[in-house]
Amino acid sequence: MDNKEITLLKRALDRQVKARKQAESILEAKSKELYDTTRHLQEVNSRLENLLSEKSSELNEIFVNIVDPYVVMDLMGNIIKMNDAAREFLGCGPDEEVDLSSYVHKDYIEYTYNSFKSLVEVGTIKNYRPKLVLKDGTIRTVEVNGSIIYDENRVPVGAQGIIRDISQESEIKELLGNQRKQLDIIVENSPLGIILTDNEHIIKANNAIVNLLGYSIEELKKQSLDAISSSEHTTESQKLMQKMDDGELENFSVVRTFIKKNGKQLFTKTAVSAVKNQQGEIDYKVIILEDITKELEAEEQLKASENRLSSLIANLHTGILVEDEDRNVVLANKMFCALFEIEAPPHRLVGINCENAMSGNEHLFKNPDFEVSRINKIIQKKDLVLSDEVEMADGKTLQRDFIPIFNKGVYNGHLWTYTDVTISKNYKRNLEVQKEKYSSIIANMNLGLLEVNLDEIIQTVNQSFCSMSGYTEKELLGNKATDLIKITDSDTLNSKSEKGLKGESDSYEVEVLQKDGTTRHWLISGAPRYNDSGKVIGSLGIHLDITAQKQLELQKEALVKELEKSNVGLQEYAHIVSHDLKSPLRSISALCTWLNEDYQDKLDDNGKYNLSMMQEKVEAMDSLIDGILKYSTINSDNIENSSVDVNEVIKEITDIIYIPEHVKVVVTSTLPTIYADRTKVHQLIQNFLSNAVVHIEREKGLVEIGCIETKTHWQFSVKDNGVGIPKEYHEKIFKIFQSVGNKERSTGIGLSIVKKIIDLYEGQVWLESEIGEGTTFFFTLKK
Amino acid sequence: MKGVVFTEFLEMVELKFGLEVVDTIIENSNLPSEGIYTSVGTYSFNEMVSLITSLSDEVKAPMGDLIYAFGLYLFKGLGSSHPEVIENYSNPISLLYAIEDHIHVHVKKLYPDAELPTFKILDKSDNSISMVYSSSRGLYRLAHGLIEKTFEHFNGTATITYELLKEDGTEVKFDIVQNG
Repeated sequence: MDNKEITLLKRALDRQVKARKQAESILEAKSKELYDTTRHLQEVNSRLENLLSEKSSELNEIFVNIVDPYVVMDLMGNIIKMNDAAREFLGCGPDEEVDLSSYVHKDYIEYTYNSFKSLVEVGTIKNYRPKLVLKDGTIRTVEVNGSIIYDENRVPVGAQGIIRDISQESEIKELLGNQRKQLDIIVENSPLGIILTDNEHIIKANNAIVNLLGYSIEELKKQSLDAISSSEHTTESQKLMQKMDDGELENFSVVRTFIKKNGKQLFTKTAVSAVKNQQGEIDYKVIILEDITKELEAEEQLKASENRLSSLIANLHTGILVEDEDRNVVLANKMFCALFEIEAPPHRLVGINCENAMSGNEHLFKNPDFEVSRINKIIQKKDLVLSDEVEMADGKTLQRDFIPIFNKGVYNGHLWTYTDVTISKNYKRNLEVQKEKYSSIIANMNLGLLEVNLDEIIQTVNQSFCSMSGYTEKELLGNKATDLIKITDSDTLNSKSEKGLKGESDSYEVEVLQKDGTTRHWLISGAPRYNDSGKVIGSLGIHLDITAQKQLELQKEALVKELEKSNVGLQEYAHIVSHDLKSPLRSISALCTWLNEDYQDKLDDNGKYNLSMMQEKVEAMDSLIDGILKYSTINSDNIENSSVDVNEVIKEITDIIYIPEHVKVVVTSTLPTIYADRTKVHQLIQNFLSNAVVHIEREKGLVEIGCIETKTHWQFSVKDNGVGIPKEYHEKIFKIFQSVGNKERSTGIGLSIVKKIIDLYEGQVWLESEIGEGTTFFFTLKK
Repeated sequence: MKGVVFTEFLEMVELKFGLEVVDTIIENSNLPSEGIYTSVGTYSFNEMVSLITSLSDEVKAPMGDLIYAFGLYLFKGLGSSHPEVIENYSNPISLLYAIEDHIHVHVKKLYPDAELPTFKILDKSDNSISMVYSSSRGLYRLAHGLIEKTFEHFNGTATITYELLKEDGTEVKFDIVQNG
C-alpha cells in the first residue's frame, strides 16, 4: 500500500469514526427523548383512564335517567343506543332497529340534510327543530341538540343527541303569537288612547294617543305622563297613583287634562290599571285615555241650557205647575204663585200635594164648585185640554192648559199652565165697543164713504154717500163705481184712482152727475186699502159735497176780477181827473197873475189881497190834486224793495223841504238800513217831518227822530214840541181829507198816504200828543 | 435530506469508481459536513447537489445518468435495511400504488422531519400504472431508477416512459407498463 492510499484510507476511516460518533450521539438524544415521551404518555394515559371511567359511569347514569329522549346513532341515522324516554317517544321495541331519518317529516328533509351537514362540519348542533312523524302517525315538533362522536383517530363515527318534544311549546308559541297579533290590532285600532308606562316613562302608545295628543310615538317615549298633563287635576290623580304604588289600588279612573303638542287642552277620562309581576310589584301601568272634550262641552251646554230653561220657566209670564202622577208638585214658577196668591217661593211648593192644597183655597175661584169638579174630571180623563177659561174671584180671567205627560206610554204626571188673559179679554171687549162707535160715526157722518176693490167694484158705502149720490146702498154695492157715478172730467179721476191704487193718498175735486142728472161738486180724499200683508187691495174714498162752497168761490172769483177792473179804471180815472183838473187850475193861476199885473194901478189893497188869496187857494187845490194822485198810486203792485239807509233818506228830506229857521231837526239814535221801497220810505218820512216842522209856534222848535228795534219790526218816532193835536183828531187824521186846523197848505191827504204805506209794510201808526206841549208820531215797519 | 441517502450514494461511488473518487468529490465539494454522514442524521440537500456535480465532473458522465444509476443502487440499500416494507406487496404495481399512502407514512413515522416527494396516481390497472412525481428537488431520475429496480425485484420488467410536466423536472408524469 502506497502512501497516497494510506492517507486516503485514513481520511475515510476518520470520516467513518466521526460518522459513527455522530450517529451515536443522535441516537442517545433520540432515546432520551423517547424515554421522556414515554413517561409523559404513561402519566397522561393513567389520568385519562381515571377520567374516562369516572365520566363514562357518570354519563351512563345521566343518559339512562335523563327525562328527555337521548339517542346515539351512526352516521347513516341508524340508532345504536337510546334511553327509555327515547324508546317511549319513538314508540319502538327494545331490540328493534331504528332508522331515525325515516321519522323526519317530508317538509323537513332538506332542512335535516343541511343541519346534519353542518353537524358533521362543526361537530355540534343546537336548536335543530324538525317535525317528526311517529309510528302512530302523529306529528310532533322536536328540538334536537347534539354532537358528533369520534373514534380514537378523530374520525366521526356517529352522533348523539337529546330530543325535546316542543310540539306543545310551539303550539303555545304560535297561539301566543296570534293572540299578540290580535291584541296589537285591537290596541292599534282602538279609538281609546292606550299608554304603557313604567313608573317613569311612556314605553308604548298606540295610534289613538298620537292622534289625540299630536305627539309622535318617539316624542312620547321621551315624556312622562305628568309632563304632558295639565296641573289642574294632577293632585287628585297623583294621590290615586300613590295609593296604587302602595298596593291599595289595582285600578282607578279619573278625569284628567292633558296638554296637546299644539298647547290645547285635552279632557280625558283616564283609566289606570297596574300590571304586577309575580312578586306583586308593579311592573307597568296601562293607561287608557278617552277623549271627553266633546262630552264635557255637551254637558256644559246641557247645564247652560238647563239653567236657561229653568230661569225661563221661573220668569215665564205663564203660570206653570207640574204635578206627578200622585198630584204632588214637581215644579212651579213665580207666576203660578202670583196668580194663586201663594206667598211661599215656588221651590217650597215642590212635594206638596195639590189635592190637599186646593181644599181651603177654592174661594179663589169665582165658581169654586164648578172649577174643582172640572179639575178632577180633567185629571181623571188625562186628555189634553187647551184654552180652558177660568174666572177668578178677584175678576181675573185665566186661560188654562192641561198637558198630560207620558213617558214611553206610561202616565207620569201632568203640566198645568195658567195665563192671565184678563187684559186681552177686556181689550177685546173694548175693541168691539170702539168698533161700534166708529161704525156709527161712519154711518152717520156727513162725509160719503166709498170703498172699492182693485176692479173698482164697490165694497162698502155709508148712508151719506147714498144720499150724496142719489143711489140706494143696494144699487151701489157690487157695481163698478165709475158706471154709476158719472164724472164730467173723467181723465182726472182715472189718474187719481191710479195713484190711489199705487198706494198714494190724494185729495181732489170732481164734478159729478147725480142719479137725477144734477151736477154736484165733490171733494174726494182717496187712500189705498191694504190687507194684512201690506198689499194694496183697493181704495177708500171720503167724499164731501162742496157744491155750495164751489159756487161761492166762483162768485168770489168773479167779484175779484170785477174789482181789479174797476181799480184799474179808478187809477186811470184819478190820473185823468187830476190832469184835467190841473189845467183849468193853471189857467186860473195865470189869469190871476195877469189880473194882478195888468190892473195893479186900478186895484185897491182889498182887491190885491183877494187876488193873492185866490192864488193861494189855487196852489192848495193843486197840491190836493197831487196828494190824491199819490194816494191812489200807492199799492203793492209798484213796490221795488232794496236796502235803504234811513239816515241818508233823512238827509235828503231835510235838504229839500222847507224848515223854518227857528226849528231844529235832530236824529237821536243811529237809524237802521231797512229793506223797503226807497221812494215810499222817503214819502213816508217826509210827510211826518214836514208836518212836524210847520206846526211849531214856539221860539225854538225841536224835532227829534229816533228808532228802536223790536223782534219783528223797526219802530220809528218823530217828536216835535209844536202845538199838539187834540185827542178827538187822533183817529181822524189818518183818514183822507181830514186835517187839524185851517192851515191853507194842509191838504188833509199826507197822513192818509202815510197810513197806506205803513199798511203795505204791515206796520202800525199811532201818536201821543198834548196840546201846547208837542206831538210824537210812532210808526212801525216790518223787517 | 436524510443521511441514508448520502451514505448510500457514497457507497455506490466507492463501489463503482473507487475510494479515491469518493475522497476526491468530498474534498472538491467543500461540504459543511466535511463528508461525514450517518444514516440517522439529516443534511443539506445542497451537499448532495455538490457531490453529484463533483462526481459528474470527476467521471465525465451526465448528472441525470448518475442520478438514475443511484436510483438503481438505492433500491437494494433501502430494500435490505427495511425488507418488511417490500414483503407486504406481492407485485410491483401494488407497491408503487402504495408509495404515497403507505410507504411514505411509515417513513414519516421513523423520520418525522423527512422531506418526501409525492406521487399522485392518475391511473392504475393490474399491469400498468400512471402517476405524477412532484418534488422541489427535481430528482425524477432517482425515482426512475427506483421504479425500474422495483420491477426487477419482483423478477419482472416494465416499459417506463416519462414526460416532464415542468422543465426543471419538479413535476414529471410516469407511464409504466409491466412487461409479460
